[in-house]
Amino acid sequence: MKLNLTLNGTARSADVPERTLLADLLRDTFGMTGTHVGCDTSQCGCCTVHVDGMAVKSCTMLAVQADGCSVTTIEGLGADGLHPVQVAFSQCHGLQCGFCTPGMVMASVDLLRRNPQPTPAEIAEGLAGNLCRCTGYVNIIRAVQQASEILQKEAS
Amino acid sequence: MYAFNYQRAESVGSAAAALSADASAKVLSGGMTLLPSMKHRLIAPSALIDLARLPELIGVREEGPHWWVGAATRHQEVAAHAGLQQAIPGLADLAGLIGDPQVRARGTLGGSLANNDPSADYPAAALALRARILTERRDIAADDFFLGMFATALQPDEIITGVRFCTPVRCAYAKFKHPASGYAMAGVFVAQYPAAGAEHGGWRVAVTGVANGVFLWHEAAQALAQQSPTPPLLRDDAIDDVHAPAAYRCHLALQMLNQACQAL
Amino acid sequence: MNAPTAQVLLRKEDQRLITGTGQFSADAQAAGMCHGHVIRSPHAHARITHLDVSAVRAAPGVRQVLTAQDVQAAGFADLPNAVQVKNAQGQAQVVCAMPVLAHDRVLFVGQPLVWVVADTALQAQDAAELADIGYETLDVVVTFADATAPGAVQLHPQAPGNTSVKFEAGDRAAVDAAFAKAHFVSDIAVESQRLVGAPMEPRAVWAWHDEAQGLTHVHTPSQGVGGMAAYLTHITRWDAASIEVHTQDVGGSFGLRSSAYSEHALVMLSARWLKRPVRWVGSRSELFVSDWHGRALRLHGHIALDKDGRILAMRFENQVDAGAYNVYFSTHIGARNLSITMGGAYQVPALHMSSHIFFTNTVPVSAYRGAGRPDIAYVIDRLIDHAAHQHGLDGLALRRKNFIPPQAFPYTTANQTVYDSGHFEAVMDHALRISDAPGFAQRRAEALQRGCLLGRGLAYYLEASGPGGAAKDQVRANFDAHGVLSLHALTGASGQGHETSFAQIVENEIGLPASAVRYFAGEPEQDLVGNSTGGSRTLYGMGSAIKNLCQQLMHQAKPAIAKLWGCAETDIGHVGGEFQEQSGNQRRLRYADWIASLGDLAAQVHAVGEASSGATFPNGCHIAEVEIQCATGVAAVAHYWAVDDVGQVISPAQVLGQVQGGVVQGLGQAFGEHAIYDRETGQLLTGSYMDYPMPRAGGWLRHFHHETHAVPTSLNLLGAKGVGESGCSGSLPALANAVTDALRQVDAPPMDMPFTPARLWAALQAAPQKP
Repeated sequence: MKLNLTLNGTARSADVPERTLLADLLRDTFGMTGTHVGCDTSQCGCCTVHVDGMAVKSCTMLAVQADGCSVTTIEGLGADGLHPVQVAFSQCHGLQCGFCTPGMVMASVDLLRRNPQPTPAEIAEGLAGNLCRCTGYVNIIRAVQQASEILQKEAS
Repeated sequence: MYAFNYQRAESVGSAAAALSADASAKVLSGGMTLLPSMKHRLIAPSALIDLARLPELIGVREEGPHWWVGAATRHQEVAAHAGLQQAIPGLADLAGLIGDPQVRARGTLGGSLANNDPSADYPAAALALRARILTERRDIAADDFFLGMFATALQPDEIITGVRFCTPVRCAYAKFKHPASGYAMAGVFVAQYPAAGAEHGGWRVAVTGVANGVFLWHEAAQALAQQSPTPPLLRDDAIDDVHAPAAYRCHLALQMLNQACQAL
Repeated sequence: MNAPTAQVLLRKEDQRLITGTGQFSADAQAAGMCHGHVIRSPHAHARITHLDVSAVRAAPGVRQVLTAQDVQAAGFADLPNAVQVKNAQGQAQVVCAMPVLAHDRVLFVGQPLVWVVADTALQAQDAAELADIGYETLDVVVTFADATAPGAVQLHPQAPGNTSVKFEAGDRAAVDAAFAKAHFVSDIAVESQRLVGAPMEPRAVWAWHDEAQGLTHVHTPSQGVGGMAAYLTHITRWDAASIEVHTQDVGGSFGLRSSAYSEHALVMLSARWLKRPVRWVGSRSELFVSDWHGRALRLHGHIALDKDGRILAMRFENQVDAGAYNVYFSTHIGARNLSITMGGAYQVPALHMSSHIFFTNTVPVSAYRGAGRPDIAYVIDRLIDHAAHQHGLDGLALRRKNFIPPQAFPYTTANQTVYDSGHFEAVMDHALRISDAPGFAQRRAEALQRGCLLGRGLAYYLEASGPGGAAKDQVRANFDAHGVLSLHALTGASGQGHETSFAQIVENEIGLPASAVRYFAGEPEQDLVGNSTGGSRTLYGMGSAIKNLCQQLMHQAKPAIAKLWGCAETDIGHVGGEFQEQSGNQRRLRYADWIASLGDLAAQVHAVGEASSGATFPNGCHIAEVEIQCATGVAAVAHYWAVDDVGQVISPAQVLGQVQGGVVQGLGQAFGEHAIYDRETGQLLTGSYMDYPMPRAGGWLRHFHHETHAVPTSLNLLGAKGVGESGCSGSLPALANAVTDALRQVDAPPMDMPFTPARLWAALQAAPQKP
C-alpha cells in the first residue's frame, strides 16, 4: 500500500504491506534506526516518535496510519546541532547504554511542549510510558528539569 | 501480524457497510488494543477500516444537560478540554489517567468502550454518568451496554459514533493502577445527580478493574445517599490472580471510593 | 536551539546515543539478508511425538528449516555450562546441558525446537505456524518441594531427584560445635525470587560468511568479543580462527549478554549454508521465556552468638533453582559466588554452606547483576537484623562488635577468602551521620499520623568482584599520524561508559587529553588476552592494564627524550605525564607535547599494556526508610542513603550512575518483580511487561543521597574496587530490613520479597496489632 508522509521535514513516500508498523517503516524502509523496538506490548516507549507533533509509540501504529502526517524521529530532532533535551540528557548522565534514550528524549520533548515547567513528579508522570533499566531514572528527571530551565531561558 | 486489507473510511455509513459485507473486518480507531492483539496474532481481521479521521466522530461539546464526546476523540483531547474539566471533572481526570502520554495521544473513547476490557477506565465513567452510547443506528443506555468481559450490546457490524454523558452535579474518579500494565486494579467513578426521583438519591458509583466487567455498586451509592458508611464490597466474580487476590481488589474498591469522594 | 557539541557532552558515547546514531545489532542491514525465527515449546514438559516441518519448508520465502537432527548432523555441541563443582563427597556434578534445539523432549515453555529462515521476518513467522508438532504433555515441577519430592517426574534420567549437585563449602564440624555452645541462636529463611533481567535491547544476532576468507562474522551484543567467540567455538566446534565476533553498542547486559544462545549458533549455521547474511531479533515476549532468568534462590541462614553478642558461626542451607538445564553460570551463582563472602563484613570463626542445585521445568538461570552476591549479602544482613531483634540486641552494636577491624587486614575468612582492605565501622558511621538517624522517631510518628508505617533498615554488604578467568587483561595501543591514541581490548561496555572512563585514565596518567583517546572493544583482536565485562571488574581490570600501558608508553619514549636532551636515559624521570630532567638543566617536556612534535611519525608509537587484577572487595552501608500506606499496602522509599567503599574513584558521575541503577534494580526486586510460574502447567504467568512490573520513572528515588568512602586497595594498579553490581547488594537487605522494621510496629512477622501492595496489605490484615 502506498503512503506519503513528511519525515524529519522531508517529503517521503513508500509502498509497504499494510501490516508494516510505523517503527518498521522508519527503521527498515527509511533506514532511521535511531527509533528502537524494545518490547511487543506497547509498554517500553523505546519506539517513541512524534506524529503531527505528539509523542506516540511507533510500534503501535501502522505505517499506513501515518499517511499524510508529519513524523519526527530522534534523527530529526536538533534542526542543526543538538536539542537542549539531548544535551541535558548527556550532561546529567541520564543515559548509560542508550537504548531507551531516543524514545525517552522524544517523550521528554513532547512533555515539555505541553508542560514547560514541570515538577519532578510531573516529569515522572510524563515519562510513565518509557522504561529504562540502566539509570534508575534519577538523572533522567534531572535532565528534563535542566532542559526545561534552558528552554524557558531561551523563550524569554 | 497476519496480513489484512486497510482502508480509510470515508463516512460512518460506508464503514458500516464494509463491516456488514465482511464478517471478519474490524474498525480501527486508536489501535491501542487492537494493534497489540494483532501483533501477538491473537486475532486475524481480514480488513481494518480506519475511522480515526472522520470529523463527525471527533470532538467534545456541551449539548444542554449533556456532553457529547466523539468516538474517535483521543484521550489526550478529553483530558485537556477546559470545558469538560469544569463540567465533568471526573471524566477529564479519568482520560488523563489512561495508560501513559503516548497511549493517550492515540487511544480513543469508542475503542475503549467497544472493547470493554474489565480493567479499562472509560466503562466506569459511562456507567456512572448515565451515558448513552450512540451508534450509527441507535443509542444504547450504558446500563444495557456492558455485558461482561469483552462483551457489549453492539451488533457485529455496529459502530459507536459518540457518547453522551449526563452532566452531574459533581463527580470524581479514583484509580489504583496495576503496577505493571497501568490498567485499573480498582477504578471507582462517583457521580451525584439531583435526588428527585432518582435511585439512591441521585448517587451513582461504578467500579472497574475488580470484577469480570464494570458494574454499578449499589450499596455504595445507597450509603452515600444515606450518608452512612459503605459496607465492604463482596463480589463472587472479583478477579483473583498472581497480582492481587479478590479480597484485596475489593478492599481497593473501597479505598478508591473514599479517595473519589474526597475529591468531589 | 543550537548547542555546541562535543565539549558539552559528559561522555564520548553520548554523541551517537542521544542522536540515535548508535549501532545496535538489530540496526545493521546487509544485502540479501534473511531472517530467522524460532519455534518454541508451548509446554513446560512434553515428549515430542511427531514433528513434521514439510509445510514450513514449502511456505513462501522460506530458505531453510532446521531441527535437532540437522544441528546434530552439523556436529554442534550443547550450550556450555561454564562452571562445575563437586559435592561434599568429591563426586562430580551431574551436568545436564541444554541442546541448541530440543530433541525428543522439551523441558520448559520457550525452549527452542525448530529454526526457520525466510527472506523476511514476517514470512518466517507465517511459515512457523504451519509446523505440525505433536506433544505428549508430562507432569511439571516448578518448585523445590515438587522437584525433589520422592516420585517426582524426572527431567533428566542422569539426575535422580532432579538434583544437579549438593555443593558444600566451609567447615561443618566447626559450625556444629559453635552452635552447640552458643548463647544466642537465630535463623531466617529468605527467598531471592526468580527475576527477568530485561535489558532494554532485545537479544539479537546476525552473521555472514566470507567464503574467500573462510571467516564467519557474527554481530551481536556481548560483554566481550573474546568470551563470546570462545562460547561460539565451543558450540559450533568450528575452528576458532574461522569465527570473528563484532560487538558495537549494547543496550544493557547485566550478565545476560555474555552467553551464546541457540540463536547465535543457528544464525551462524544458516549463514554458512545459505551463503547469505542471516539475522535473528527476539521479541520481548520471546525473551521473557528465552533470556536466562536471574536469582531463583532460597537461602536459610543461621547465626550463633556468644553471650556478649560475638558471632561464633554462620551456616547457610540454600536451594538453587537452575531451571531446566545447567547453563553458563548457574552453578557459580549457587556455589562459589555465595560462599566466597558468606561471612560478609564480619569476623565469623566458623562458616558452612550447603547449596542444593536442582532442576525445574523453567527457563534456565544464569548471571543477573550480582549473580549470587546480592543474594548472600541479602540473607546475611537480614539474619543480623533478625537475630538482633529476636534477642533484644542493638543491631548497630551487634554489627560494630563483629565487623572485621581495620587492623585485621589482610583478613582471611574461615573459608579462606582473603579480604585486603576495609574500614567497615567508619563507613557505617559515615552512613549514619548523613542519614539523620536521630530524626527517625519523629518521621515515624508523623507517618503514623498519616496512616502510614515508616520503617528504617540498615544493611552492610560486602562482595567480591570478579576475579577474572583470563590470566591477565591486555590492551594494545597505537597512535595515528594525528596523535590520536587508539586502545584495543576485549572487554566491552553495555552502558558503563568505558570509552569515557578509559580515556580519562589515560589523561590522568600521562596528560594526553581524553578527547585524543579512543577505546575499541568490539573489534576482534585474536591475539589479545583479557576478560569480558562481568563481575564489576572492568574499570579496575582494564583500567589497570591501561595504567600499565601508560607506564610503558612513558618508558618507551625515554630513549628519544634522552637523544633530544642529549643526556642519559637514567637522568630522565617522569611525574604524571611529564618528563623531567633530574639534573643539570632541569628540562621538562610533557608526553602529549612530545607526541604532537612527532607529527606523522607518531603513528610509529605503539605498545601493549597488561595487568593481572583479581577480585576486590567493594562494600558499603545502605540505609533505607520505607513507608507503607496502611490503607492500600503501597510501599514507597521515603529516603535512601548509601555510602560505598569502591576504592579509588575515576569518574564520580558514572559511579553514581551505576549505584543509582543498581539500587533501582534492587528496588524492582524488593517491591514487585517476580517471574512467577504456574505450579500445575509450568506456564510463565508474568510473561510480558503487562504482568512484570518494571521500575518506572514514577518510582524514582526522590531522596537519594550517595557518598563514597574510599579505602584504597593495592590489589590492582588503580586502587579501585568494582561498583557495577554493588547497588543490588546494598539495596536488597536495606529495603527488606526497612520493611521488616515497619511491620514490627504491628507485630507482623518478617516477609519475603516482593513486597507488593497486595502482600503487604495481607500482612497488615493478619497482624496482631493495628496501627
